[in-house]
Amino acid sequence: MSDVAVVGWAQTPSVRLARESEVQLLVPTVAQALARANLDRREIGFTCAGSCDYLTGGPFAFVSNLEAAGAWPPIAESHVEMDGAWAMYEAWVRLQHGDIDTALVFGSGKSSPSQPAEVWAQQLDPYYLAPLGVDPVSLAGIQARALLDAGKATERDFAEVAVRSRHNAVDNPNAQVKGDASVDALLAEPYVRAPLRKHDLPPISDGAVAVVLARGDRARQLCERPAWIRGLDHRIEVHQPGMRDLTASPSTTLAARKAGYDGGPLDVIELSATFSPQELILREALGLDAGANVNPSGGALAANPVMATGLIRIVEVAQRIASGAADRGLAHATGGQVLQHNLVCMLEGE
Amino acid sequence: MSDAKKETLVMEHLVSLRYEEELTPILERYVDALIDGRIVGHKCPQCGRVFVPGKGYCPMCVVETTERDEVEVADTGTVTGFTIITPVAYYGQEETEPFVYASVLLDGADSTLGGQDVVGIPHDQIHSGLRVRAVWRPKEKRSGNAVTNRGWGSVASVIDAFEPTGEPDMDRAKFEEHIF
Repeated sequence: MSDVAVVGWAQTPSVRLARESEVQLLVPTVAQALARANLDRREIGFTCAGSCDYLTGGPFAFVSNLEAAGAWPPIAESHVEMDGAWAMYEAWVRLQHGDIDTALVFGSGKSSPSQPAEVWAQQLDPYYLAPLGVDPVSLAGIQARALLDAGKATERDFAEVAVRSRHNAVDNPNAQVKGDASVDALLAEPYVRAPLRKHDLPPISDGAVAVVLARGDRARQLCERPAWIRGLDHRIEVHQPGMRDLTASPSTTLAARKAGYDGGPLDVIELSATFSPQELILREALGLDAGANVNPSGGALAANPVMATGLIRIVEVAQRIASGAADRGLAHATGGQVLQHNLVCMLEGE
Repeated sequence: MSDAKKETLVMEHLVSLRYEEELTPILERYVDALIDGRIVGHKCPQCGRVFVPGKGYCPMCVVETTERDEVEVADTGTVTGFTIITPVAYYGQEETEPFVYASVLLDGADSTLGGQDVVGIPHDQIHSGLRVRAVWRPKEKRSGNAVTNRGWGSVASVIDAFEPTGEPDMDRAKFEEHIF
């Protein structure tokens, strides 16, 4: 395996509504990520993007997004209809071929024009669940109820996750939901979908993120302290949520093991827990103790630009390693409904 | 394998997704100018190419553009490519007769407006290189309805169609790179 590192990154602030087009969000973001790596776009060996045309509401929207990377003269590129973390996975695999040594990755999404509850219901099987219009919040409510019924968590536990996320997000200029709140005050709020309250849900966000990868010595040339990808793996569970134990995430456990996570100390952990109960499930799946430094950025409850959320987790870990604030970290991304598909990236400084 | 005839089950699943948004600030200015009878775009400060409507960046140079880079282009141009579409009755299709879907390269622009109707000439005589001019709606009937953030260039709520100018065809070399 070739050693590949994150050497450049940038992200937009997450906002409820960006008036600019998705490409306009990406143009400065990609430029900043390249500038941080001291690279010209023409030096990039491979480009991969993650976005969702259903979210944008336009066929081939992902083609326009490519304009942010500068596709003339023609470039080698690919796209995944997935979170940008999976675009990074593809770029990482591509770099393993050994014939190129840099890659550009980006993820972007504007959830503001759509009704997310309508869009994401289409992600479910077209026979039983999609026609019912089962939306992510309802499924997350079923998952939360399963956790309560199993005696694995309480509604207070959920609220504590939200309070910690919002508190951590205060120092994150890119976060959307931040501030200090009390658990008791949050628990006095009404349910959105019992047993979930508003604080258990992610915000609706517009945003974009970009990452530059480099291989071997090239990474050391471009970055004073590269964040090395020590392992990267993703695993998927059965599509039908009714056939899974929603209180556990065996695919996260397996992805972490395959990515080389051995239970050793982690300075920083960023989890794509888009609903507060999911942080508890992921903590258990990864065997994290109560004192673990989870989501110092505020996580997905503080900013959730879908299709960028997972790649932002990788950036949040990588930038802490690059700055010297952390030596070893774990980033997690998720796709599908209620933690169906999970990716784990182990990052380390030298 | 059994010889029994297998039953084919068919279910209909009509999906409706709602999207609501304002035009981007650049497209708002574009529509205001159109209603005023002017067609504007952004001129790249680096390569000089003019994109109509403006994108907020030059896709060739990947440099940002703003309203300071706004320029006006002509309402005359050249048909670069076209299709005569025979409509099939799919959900939402309002056309019943064969119609034109043409790309027009306006004079002074380096990007085409897609999805334009061409009138005043039989369908079988429309060709690449045909010189055309805009048929504007009366000012009081213009609106921004046809312009969207995810459009391919339709301005049908302002310009009904393009019609031949009668000029000789444009030299192919001058529009060749815009043929899609």
